[in-house]
Amino acid sequence: MHIAVCIKQIPDPEIAPSLFRIDEDARRVVAIPGMSPVISPFDEQAVEAALRIRDALGDGGEVRITALTVGDESARRIVKHVLALGADDAVMMSDPAFADSDSYATAHVLAKAIAKLGTVDLVLAGRQAADLDAGVVGPGLAELCGIPAITFARKIDVADGVVRAIRVLEDGSETVEAPLPALVTVSHEMGGVRNASLRETMRAAKKPVETWGPADIGADIGEVGAAAARRRLERLYVPVSDTACEFIEGDGARAVAAALARRLVEEKVL
Amino acid sequence: MPRREIEGDWVMGWPDRKRYRLSPSKDQEGRTIHARTPFLELEGLITPTDAYYIVAQLQMPEPVHPDDYSFEICGEVENPATYTLEDLRKLPGHTVRAVTECAGDDTEFWDYLESRAKGGNLPKPSRTVREEVEGVDWHGMADSGEIDLRELSSLMPATCIVSGGEWTGVRLREVLERAGVKDSAVAIRVEGFDRGRPDPTIQYRSVGRTDFEVHDPGVINYDKGLPIEKAMDSETLLAWAHNGEYLTHVHGAPVRMVVPGWAGNWWVKWIHRVEVMDRMPDCYHQTHYFVSGKGPDDPDKKMMTALGVKTVITEPLEEESPLPADTYAIRGLAWSGEGAMVRVEVSTDNGETWNDAHIEEHADRYLWRRWSCLWDARPGHHTLMARGTDEKGRRQPVTEWNFQRKHFDGIVPVDVEIE
Repeated sequence: MHIAVCIKQIPDPEIAPSLFRIDEDARRVVAIPGMSPVISPFDEQAVEAALRIRDALGDGGEVRITALTVGDESARRIVKHVLALGADDAVMMSDPAFADSDSYATAHVLAKAIAKLGTVDLVLAGRQAADLDAGVVGPGLAELCGIPAITFARKIDVADGVVRAIRVLEDGSETVEAPLPALVTVSHEMGGVRNASLRETMRAAKKPVETWGPADIGADIGEVGAAAARRRLERLYVPVSDTACEFIEGDGARAVAAALARRLVEEKVL
Repeated sequence: MPRREIEGDWVMGWPDRKRYRLSPSKDQEGRTIHARTPFLELEGLITPTDAYYIVAQLQMPEPVHPDDYSFEICGEVENPATYTLEDLRKLPGHTVRAVTECAGDDTEFWDYLESRAKGGNLPKPSRTVREEVEGVDWHGMADSGEIDLRELSSLMPATCIVSGGEWTGVRLREVLERAGVKDSAVAIRVEGFDRGRPDPTIQYRSVGRTDFEVHDPGVINYDKGLPIEKAMDSETLLAWAHNGEYLTHVHGAPVRMVVPGWAGNWWVKWIHRVEVMDRMPDCYHQTHYFVSGKGPDDPDKKMMTALGVKTVITEPLEEESPLPADTYAIRGLAWSGEGAMVRVEVSTDNGETWNDAHIEEHADRYLWRRWSCLWDARPGHHTLMARGTDEKGRRQPVTEWNFQRKHFDGIVPVDVEIE
């Protein structure tokens, strides 16, 4: 069984908000000197999901896990991280032509890469990237690959050519199935991810990492990166949050509660 | 010892052991303001600077450029003077290796041992939990309304606030003698740049209740009044370097005090004033906090100075239990506030019998010592204990219960199942 896991490097979401800067003119997030990008946490959970599937299938399962990413050389850090977690190999779609991809262009490149990988039974991705939070690449990739998509999974099982996932809903969960090959996006309800062991990290140093450009995946320059982007970014900015606090007063708890309810209705919260 | 699997990481591009760092609490600017040392994961005697614990009683100050730095020495001296960092570095240097331990390290073990002695089930404080708390303003809690001490304890674990380091600087004595200390000198008040209004929540947490009045000194600079005898001790330093490099800001750059044997609150950071006094000063963190006594209303509260005598078992850990029957090395660290550790005894039968452990000797009296002994572990439940004795003949535990629950040095049992 071959599982492809799509991963993305993002600015560390744990940094203090005050350190986060945007160049509104260039419509770019400003890189913070000395702050290395990290794997999007949802994608790390997708890797964990793949490892759990391999653990569940045991030695006889013969599961191969390939990590895929679109990014420049700085993405090698997260690639090495997932190899240390237990992925078997990795492919970096790394070429200047891939720069400034939008969700569609990224999904397009990933679809081409998956086609080149050959037989891929299951594609996993985070429910969304933790920087732009669009949540589009996963379903878009499934569409481009012509395979079913299951989103927001918190548990994934594979057996007899079928993937079964428990999906997180607003008011609970549902269990759905799809025939393989399929794509599943993983939600944070999957739970904690494992730590890299020293033994696996040492093995990771010898694991193959391939670097592919447009020609390797059979793509023309015009169908990747900014040239292929369908999203038009009008403006990139940090929204100003209003933290004003209003204290509701009244004579006794009942009066305070009533006054609070009135204010919430006025503000159209209720 | 079948420990949990060794964690890996990429170090300088190579696969390597995970390098354990601090468990930091950060403010809203992403700056570390409090951090615990994962000392159970470390080896040797010197805690790497990136893993050295960090505590500040008041707001951390803005950094000062080393070229712009100076401090004054004044008061009961013949020759008041101002020193720059370069002035200090021209004086005869001295290096000491010593344990730094927060007075409140392991504070929750006081209650745990009492509960255990009475057959209670208070959970054992953990030295392996690695918490990270973001966006915390420790010093603004008093203004935030209700205080939940239990939540506060979970936000501010009080274990692993201890480290061992090498400090380079000049003896405080050297500076005092050059200034010509008058015979009337009783104490040296050392003041830092750090400034703020002490948050009573810190004391509520320390005492474990909120039903008492905490003295409000207003906005103050952090200061301590070091008795002249300790100030003149050959190991007491004004230090500018730590573990082979210049002090970092969180550890008190450009210059801090090093007071081997005494709790971390004496090691005043970010020094900008040294005042020789003919009386003991009324420092908040000396006469109101970091004091011993039976309770907040005790009229006979005393300032707390030297640490007690302490041992910690670092292997095996309860978290590793159960273990298969085998021969294990029981290992740990031992330190004292009044000099070198000369003896560590280990019990594997809940304190019924004790055997001497091997102590790794070295010349640094105030630095912890590693100790170990072999244990032929047979199936069953075993309660391991260690107790230490220092060169003054003080045998653990030496610190009496005190209402602020400082300087814990009790004997902490480790329960291990052998299969």
